[in-house]
Amino acid sequence: MALRAARWRWSRAAWSRLILVLLWLGHGVWVFLGPNPGRHWVRLADALSRPSQGLASRWEGWRATRRDSGRSLAGLRSENARLALELAQLRTQAAQEAPRLAEADAAVRLLGLKQQIPLELKAARVIFSTRPAAFGGLILDRGTDFGLVPDQGVIVPEGIVGRLWSVNRTQAKVLPADAPNASVAVMLIRSRATGVLQGLGSGRALIRYLSNQEVVQVGEAVLTSGLDRVFPRGLLVGYVAEVAQGDLELQVILNLSAPLDRVDTVLLLPSQPPLEVQPPFLAPEQKSPRKRGTP
Amino acid sequence: MRISAPSITRQNLLCAAALSLIFLSAPFPQVQIVLHAMLVLALAPRPGAALAGALWAVAAGWALEGSLRLLPHLGGTAWADLTATLLVGWMAGRWPPEGLKGWLARLAAFSVAHAVLIQGAVRLAAGPHPWGWGWFWTLLGVPLWGWFTWWMLHAGAGSGRR
Repeated sequence: MALRAARWRWSRAAWSRLILVLLWLGHGVWVFLGPNPGRHWVRLADALSRPSQGLASRWEGWRATRRDSGRSLAGLRSENARLALELAQLRTQAAQEAPRLAEADAAVRLLGLKQQIPLELKAARVIFSTRPAAFGGLILDRGTDFGLVPDQGVIVPEGIVGRLWSVNRTQAKVLPADAPNASVAVMLIRSRATGVLQGLGSGRALIRYLSNQEVVQVGEAVLTSGLDRVFPRGLLVGYVAEVAQGDLELQVILNLSAPLDRVDTVLLLPSQPPLEVQPPFLAPEQKSPRKRGTP
Repeated sequence: MRISAPSITRQNLLCAAALSLIFLSAPFPQVQIVLHAMLVLALAPRPGAALAGALWAVAAGWALEGSLRLLPHLGGTAWADLTATLLVGWMAGRWPPEGLKGWLARLAAFSVAHAVLIQGAVRLAAGPHPWGWGWFWTLLGVPLWGWFTWWMLHAGAGSGRR
C-alpha cells in the first residue's frame, strides 16, 4: 500500500479561532495606534533618548555653571579692586577735608554763640599755645591792627577762655583762666554768691572770697558775674568739682568748661562790655515814653 | 440543574433586534448604552460559537461609537466589547448559569467590568473622556434586562438545540 502523505488542513474551529484572534488583535492594534499613530513612535523615541538627553542636559548645565561661576568670580575680583580703590580715595579725601570740616564746625558754633551774645564780637585764630610753659598762654593771629586791646575777654562756645594779656601789632597773647595769675569775677548759679576765680592750672581754678556760710554743691555751674568789666554777666565758666571748708572762706575748686588745650578759634568780647547783656530773644521791648499826668 | 442553551437562530435574531434597537435609540444614549450592554453581555456570548458572538459584539461597539459621534478615534468600545463577549462566553462554557439569581449576579459583575474595560480601551484609542452615567443605568437596569434576556434565551425557549 502506497503511503500517501497526510494532507494538513485547518479545521473549522481553527479557522474560527484564527479569525477571532485576528479580529481581537486588529482591534487592539487599531486602538493602540489611536488618532495619530506617529505619536507612538515619537513617544518611543523620546523614551529611548531620554537617558542621553538627561546626560547632555547635565553636561551643558555643568558647563554653564562653571562658565558663570568663572565670570562671577572675575567680576567680583574686579569689583572688589575697584571698591578698594574707591575706598582709599574716599579715605584720603575725608582725611584731607577733616580739618576744613572741623574748622567749619567750629565756625558754625562760633556763629551761633555770636548770635546769642548781642555784642560786637571779633573772631581770631589760635596760632600757637604756650600753656605747658610757666605762665604760658595762647597766641592769637590778631593784634592792634585788628583793634584789639589788652583785657578783652576771650570766649568759646563751651565757656570763657581768658583775657588778652598783651597785644602787639599783629598778634595777641591770651592769659587763660586757669593761669595762676589770672582772675575772673564769677558767681554761683544757685546762690548767686560772687567770688574771684584764681587759676590752678590744667583746666582747674579756685574760687576765692566765698563765705563759709554759702551752700555750694558739687556739679553746680559757675558763671561770670560781670563785676570785673571783662566778661558780661552770665557766661559759663565751669562746674564745681570740690568743696571744702576753709579757715576763713569756702574752698571751691571747679573744672573749667572750655577745652583750653584744644581751642583753635575764639571770639573776642569788646573792651569794657556792659555788666549784663541780654540775648536778642530776651531783649525787652522799647518802653514808650510815659506821658506826664498819667499813672 | 443545567440550563439548556438557546437555539442559534433565536439568539441571532435577538442579537439582530438588539443591534437594530441600538441604532434606533441613538437619540437616547442612556437607553442605548443599556441595550448595548445587554447585547454584549447577555445576548451575544455563546460557548460553542465564539466567532458569531464576537462579530455581534464588534458590531454593537462600532454601532454605539458611530452613532455617538463623540470620539476622535473609534474602535475602543468595539475592542472592549469583543473582549468582554469572549470572556463572558468562555465563562458561560466553563461555568454555565444555573438559575436566574446567578445569571443576574453574573451580569451585574460583568456590567461593571465591561464599563471599566470600555473606559480603558477608549482612553487608549481616543484619550481621556468622562465616565458619564451609562454604567450606572446599566447596573441599575440589570434586574430588568437580565430577567428579559433570561426569559428570552432560556426560560422562554424549549430545551435542546433547535
